[in-house]
Amino acid sequence: MIWLTWRQHRKQAFYTLLGFAVLAAVMVPIGLSMRHTFADLGLADCVKPVALSEAATEACNAGFHRFTNQYGSLNLVAVLLITLPVLVGLFWGAPLVAREVEQGTHRFVWTQGVGRTRWALVKFGLVGASVLLLAVGYGLGMSWWAEPLTQSAHEGRFGLIVFDLQGVVPIGYTLFAVALGVFAGTVWKRMLPAMGITLAGFIGVRAAIAILARPHYQPARTQTFPIEGGGIPEGDRGDWVLSVGIRNADGTMVAEDTRIQCPPGGKGPDGRACGAELGLKPGAYNWELYQPADRFWLFQGIETGIFVALAVLLLYLAVRRVRRIA
Amino acid sequence: MSATRGQRMDVVLEADRLGKRYGSTWALRDCSLHLPAGRIAALVGPNGAGKSTLLHLAVGLLKPDAGTVRVFGRSPYGDTEGLADIGFVAQDTPLYRDFTAAELVIAGGKLNKRWDAALARTRLAQLGIPPDKPVGKLSGGQRAQVALALALAKQPRLLLLDEPVASLDPLARREFLQSLMGSVAESGTTVLLSSHLLADLERVCDYLIVLNASQVQLTGAVDDLVAEHRQLVGPRHDGGAIGGVTAVVRASHTDRQSTLLVRTDGPVTDPAWTVREVSLEDVVLAHLADGTTQTSHSEWGVAA
Repeated sequence: MIWLTWRQHRKQAFYTLLGFAVLAAVMVPIGLSMRHTFADLGLADCVKPVALSEAATEACNAGFHRFTNQYGSLNLVAVLLITLPVLVGLFWGAPLVAREVEQGTHRFVWTQGVGRTRWALVKFGLVGASVLLLAVGYGLGMSWWAEPLTQSAHEGRFGLIVFDLQGVVPIGYTLFAVALGVFAGTVWKRMLPAMGITLAGFIGVRAAIAILARPHYQPARTQTFPIEGGGIPEGDRGDWVLSVGIRNADGTMVAEDTRIQCPPGGKGPDGRACGAELGLKPGAYNWELYQPADRFWLFQGIETGIFVALAVLLLYLAVRRVRRIA
Repeated sequence: MSATRGQRMDVVLEADRLGKRYGSTWALRDCSLHLPAGRIAALVGPNGAGKSTLLHLAVGLLKPDAGTVRVFGRSPYGDTEGLADIGFVAQDTPLYRDFTAAELVIAGGKLNKRWDAALARTRLAQLGIPPDKPVGKLSGGQRAQVALALALAKQPRLLLLDEPVASLDPLARREFLQSLMGSVAESGTTVLLSSHLLADLERVCDYLIVLNASQVQLTGAVDDLVAEHRQLVGPRHDGGAIGGVTAVVRASHTDRQSTLLVRTDGPVTDPAWTVREVSLEDVVLAHLADGTTQTSHSEWGVAA
C-alpha cells in the first residue's frame, strides 16, 4: 500500500515540493530585506515589552510609518498566500477518491487482497501526514516572514489576514481542506465537482469561523477612557480591537465605530461642550471591546483544534462512504 | 445431510433472492442462481440487465439490499480475506494508466498475500506486452490482457470478468478468450464472464446465466439447455397442452401455422408437430424477447 501510494502520487509530490521551493526562493529574499529595513529603522527596540519614553515612542511610530509605507503592499501578497491550504485541499484531497472512481480504478484496487477500509486508512494517513509536514513548514515560514509586517501593523498578529497565515492555524486549515476534498470526492465522485464543492465549502467554513466564532473564543475585554484630555491610550500593540464607540455615562451607545478626543475643557466651534453635536452628555466616554495580544497562542490553539476536529470528522465520514462506493 | 454438504462444496457462487436497488429502481431483483465449480459460465443479458450489479455483489463491491450472495460459502461484502480467492476484471479493464505493466505486477504483489508474479510476467512476455510502457498507451486488447494477467496472478478459484471483450476488435476478442481458456483449463478455476453478446462467449462457455430486466431468465449447463429446448412447427396452436412440453417459451403465429420454442421433458411424439433442434442462441433470444418488450412498453407508459 505504501509503495502504491508513493508510486501514484510521486509526480504530484514532486511538483508540490517544486512549487514550495519556488515560493521559498521568492519569499526568503523579501523576508530578509524586510528584516534588514526593520533593524535599520531601529524598530527592534520598539517592540520590546518595556515602557518607552515619549520621544522614543514618537520615533518608533515614525519608523513604523516608514516601514509600512515601504512594505505595506506586501499585505496583498499575504492575502494571496492565504489560499495555499485550500489549494492543497483541491489538488491533494479532492482527487484522492474521486479520481479513482472517475477512472474506475477503485474496482481494481478494492478487489485486491487489501480491503478498502485499509486502503482508505493508509492513503488518507500518508497523504495527511505529508500535508501536515507541508503545513508545519508553511506555518513556521510564514510566521518568520510576516513578523516584521505584523509588528509594524497596529493590530499585530491578530490581524484578520496575518492571524490566518502564521503559527499553527495553517495546519488546521490544510488538514481541513484535504479532508473536505476527500469527503467531497466520496460524495460527488468526480474530480471537478469535488474540487468545486471543496473550494466553496472551505471558503464558507473559514469565513464563518473567522467572523462569527473567533471573536468569541474568550470573553472579550473592555477598556474605557475619557473623551477629554489624556489622549487615546495606545494600549498594548497587538491587541485585537473588536469594536469601538462612545457611550454616555449611563452606558448607552451614542456613536458606534468612532472615537473622540478633546483637549481638556475644549469647546466646539458653536461654544457648546465638546462632542455635544453627537448627542454626548457630560460624562460620556470612549469604549473599546478587544482581545488582548497575549491571547494569540490560545486563539491559535482553539482555532487549530476546531479545524483539526472538523478534519477528523470528515475523514471518518469519508471512510464510511468509501465502503459504500461500488 | 453429507450429500447436501458435498453438493454445496461444489457450488462456487450462490445467490438467493438477491436484490440490489439504486434509489427506487431495482438493478437486480429476486436473483437466485448457483454456479457449480469448474464451469466457464457466461452471464448474458442486454445492457442494463444487471450483469455488472451481480458481479459487483459477488466481488463484494456492493452490499445486497435483499437476499444473500455467497462465494465459497462466504458473504463477500466487507470480507477482505475472501477477496484472495476471487479474481475480478471490471468493465473497461480499469488500470492505473500511468503505471507500466511491470509496475502493476509489483503493485499486485504489494496488495495481495498470494501473488504469482512470475506467472503474470511470463504471460505478459508471451503476449508481447512491453513492460516499460504506461498501460494507458497500450491498445485496448493489450490492456485487457494486462488486466487478465493481474487477475490470474492472484491464483483465484473464481474469476469474474465484466464485459472483458466489449471494447475489443474481433481479432483481439478471439485472442483474449483463447488465452483465458488456455490458462484456466489447467488450474480448474471457475470463470464467470459477462457480455451483452452471446456470440462472444458461445464458443467458450459451458454454463449459462441469462439476465434480463434485473431478473434471472434462464440458468443451466449449456448442453442441458440445448437438449431440453425444441422448436415446434405445426398447425395454429390454441394454447392446449402438448405431450412432452413443459412450457412454451415463445410462440409466433401466422393464420394457419404456429412456431413454438418450447421446453421439453421428453420426446414430443405428437405427429402434428415438426420438431427441430435449436441452437443456444435461439434459446437465449427466445427467453430474452419476452422481458425486453414488456419493460419498454411499461417504461413508455403504453399498453403492450
